[in-house]
Amino acid sequence: MTMVTVLSRRLLLSAAVILALLVILPSALDPYQTILLSYGLIFAIAALGFNLLLGYTGLLSFGHSAYFGMGAYAVAFIVKYLKITSMEVFLIGGILASAAVAALFGFLCVRYTRIFFGILTLALSQVLWSLAFKFFWVTGGTDGLRVPTPSLLGMQMAPGQDKMTFLAHRYYYYVLIIFLAGLAVMWVIVHSPFGKALQAIRDNETRAEFVGVQVRKYRFVAFLISGAYTGLAGALWVPLNGLTTPEILHWTFSGKIVFFTVLGGFQTFVGPIIGAVVYNYLETYAVGHTVYWQLVLGIVLVVLVLALPAGIVGTAKRLGLRLRRAA
Amino acid sequence: MAEDTSRRDFLKSLGVTVGGAAITAAAGVVSGPAKAEAQQPKGTIPDKPFKVGHMTFFTGAAAVLGEPMYKGHILAAEEINAQGGLLGKRKIETIKADEAAGTDANVKEMRRMKLSENIELFTGVTSSGNTPALGPVAEELKLMTIFVDGCTDFLWDKAVPNPHYIFRITNMQSADGVTAAVGTAMTWPQVRKIAHIHPDYSYGRNAFDHFTVAINKLVPGTKVVSEGWPKLGTTDFTSHITKAISAKPDLLVSSVWGGDYVAMYKQALRYDLFKKMKFTSMIAFGVAPHAIGKDHPQGVIAGIHSNYYFTYPTSNRWPLNDTFVKKYYDRWKEYPNFQSEGAYVAMHMFTMAVERANKLTGGWPDDDAIISQLEGLSFSGPAGYIHIRPDNHQGYKDAVTGFSINTSDYDFQILDPKRMITIPIRNITAPPGWPKGEPTSTYTWIEKTWPKVA
Repeated sequence: MTMVTVLSRRLLLSAAVILALLVILPSALDPYQTILLSYGLIFAIAALGFNLLLGYTGLLSFGHSAYFGMGAYAVAFIVKYLKITSMEVFLIGGILASAAVAALFGFLCVRYTRIFFGILTLALSQVLWSLAFKFFWVTGGTDGLRVPTPSLLGMQMAPGQDKMTFLAHRYYYYVLIIFLAGLAVMWVIVHSPFGKALQAIRDNETRAEFVGVQVRKYRFVAFLISGAYTGLAGALWVPLNGLTTPEILHWTFSGKIVFFTVLGGFQTFVGPIIGAVVYNYLETYAVGHTVYWQLVLGIVLVVLVLALPAGIVGTAKRLGLRLRRAA
Repeated sequence: MAEDTSRRDFLKSLGVTVGGAAITAAAGVVSGPAKAEAQQPKGTIPDKPFKVGHMTFFTGAAAVLGEPMYKGHILAAEEINAQGGLLGKRKIETIKADEAAGTDANVKEMRRMKLSENIELFTGVTSSGNTPALGPVAEELKLMTIFVDGCTDFLWDKAVPNPHYIFRITNMQSADGVTAAVGTAMTWPQVRKIAHIHPDYSYGRNAFDHFTVAINKLVPGTKVVSEGWPKLGTTDFTSHITKAISAKPDLLVSSVWGGDYVAMYKQALRYDLFKKMKFTSMIAFGVAPHAIGKDHPQGVIAGIHSNYYFTYPTSNRWPLNDTFVKKYYDRWKEYPNFQSEGAYVAMHMFTMAVERANKLTGGWPDDDAIISQLEGLSFSGPAGYIHIRPDNHQGYKDAVTGFSINTSDYDFQILDPKRMITIPIRNITAPPGWPKGEPTSTYTWIEKTWPKVA
């Protein structure tokens, strides 16, 4: 019992420190670093959603670009056809659209597991990609669709205000708050009876069924939540990026989401968050500093799989445990 | 246009010329951009290095067309630095980035270059998929930008209709399709059945649209018998080639570019495609010249993005070109393509604007002073005269295309300098003030103002 309280007190303390750091960062760092961190936090939301399927339900989706892209394109369509630029409308639209697609795809995919599940999610996401790519009179094709600076809680960016300052301050805090809310909700989900049932399904499908868990239904709900989270991330991402292109619907982007999660460690709750933030820095700096950026990312992936299969957080935890045992 | 216009009369009215004749009258009139101003700069100039961000394709199939851009840029930067740098003081330092990282990563990288590396000028960019994404970001960042290529009309028609910080040096994309159509109408007016193979993105569609609108005016009665839309970056064209052949066309039109094109023509050779039909390309010889083998079919229209090929303007008629080609060859041991020329001219143009602005304001001029000098600037480069239109910040130079030929002078195939087709750019692109159109201003301008020849 004491062990648990010590752990949770330590956990709370470190969470408070990290939170304080995240809050004061924009005044300490240059705007670029803050914008980069916003990207990281947004990807972290997508990775959190993704990991509900991989880490907690044991389903490896290779098609999460579909929900991310759907969130982003929903925002772009809201701008294009409804001429609305309210961020709250963007978020609701993004979540609804991606949830709708997740419901449809999930209905088909949860009938399968393992490689069949992975391939099916991949194939379905590629359908969305080719729609965005080919229906250029609606989606802008490879040119994509532009999304202007949104209003936050009804407040427009002041005319003449620098867009970078806006992104590095107000938009960053907006992203941070949604990230924290998303984090809290996901924490509740995975620690609820529903979350425990998912883990039971992951560990032994047959036993779970025998104790009365409706496996397919639970998987479907997990799929839906996962898709909606990733869609939320897509909706938050698009004003930051300024436009959406079919690239984020392509399966290679799904691969990135898998990479985030594996990098951080999919067997832990915070792993995907760390993985997403770290990957974002890694990719940005690799692209910025060498034309061999693909090689750098490839080597990281190989080292990760061979030497650190538990990811950054998993390995750190293991090291921490070993140190404590030695002490 | 009540009376019928004959094709010959209309082509004459477009001012189309073949060979080197057009340029002779003009040669030797102006001094080149490479000549440093003899005067001392006004005021005190800081000696802080001038950081430039340069982005083009360094990896993938597009690199064979895009990477020479970097070489052109570096050549110009080294020349300027040899004179002491910009205004004799500020040495140019270039940071490069790979455009192949994808549009979203490129947006991030441009922000990083400006906000983290503090670049003062951004240049480069090859793909038309990237300029409409990067243009608005450059404006948001208040970053002086000279795009070398990425020449889509969409950038000025839609993405940034009122540019302030961004400029673009190589010809507008619509010129590509129109130039190819004019070349075809002059050379093979008998063609009727036309097959198309274009990369499946904005550039390919733009090439298809403008070729079609112009050829319908110039050669009435043509029809499209086959369309192939391979994805950009494809290396297997077999299905598109066989589909085109089976439609038995008189002519194949293609805007496939870079390494994709090299793969395509090699595969087409295996099917004897070039013996079965005429061939017109917008950008076949846009790649680094040595990438085209002697096995390439001769006598086809092998476009160069309607910009520049290193054998033209011909030797000693336009000394600026001779000097440029020689310098480039000495530095890189290869010949330049249109991207090399564009990037080289962009840096010299910028230097010229800085020097002019300095004369007016003294000291290091601010961006607005430099922009005011770039707007409306006319000067001469290796390819000929260039004009920067003040309303849309787009560079205009006469459009060229030509015919492929093997000679003993080079161990790769070249464009025949004796048979170059030159079209005054004014006659094939929408004029200033023409309303923005769909799909482009030039498209509606051709549709509404060109006569259908009899």
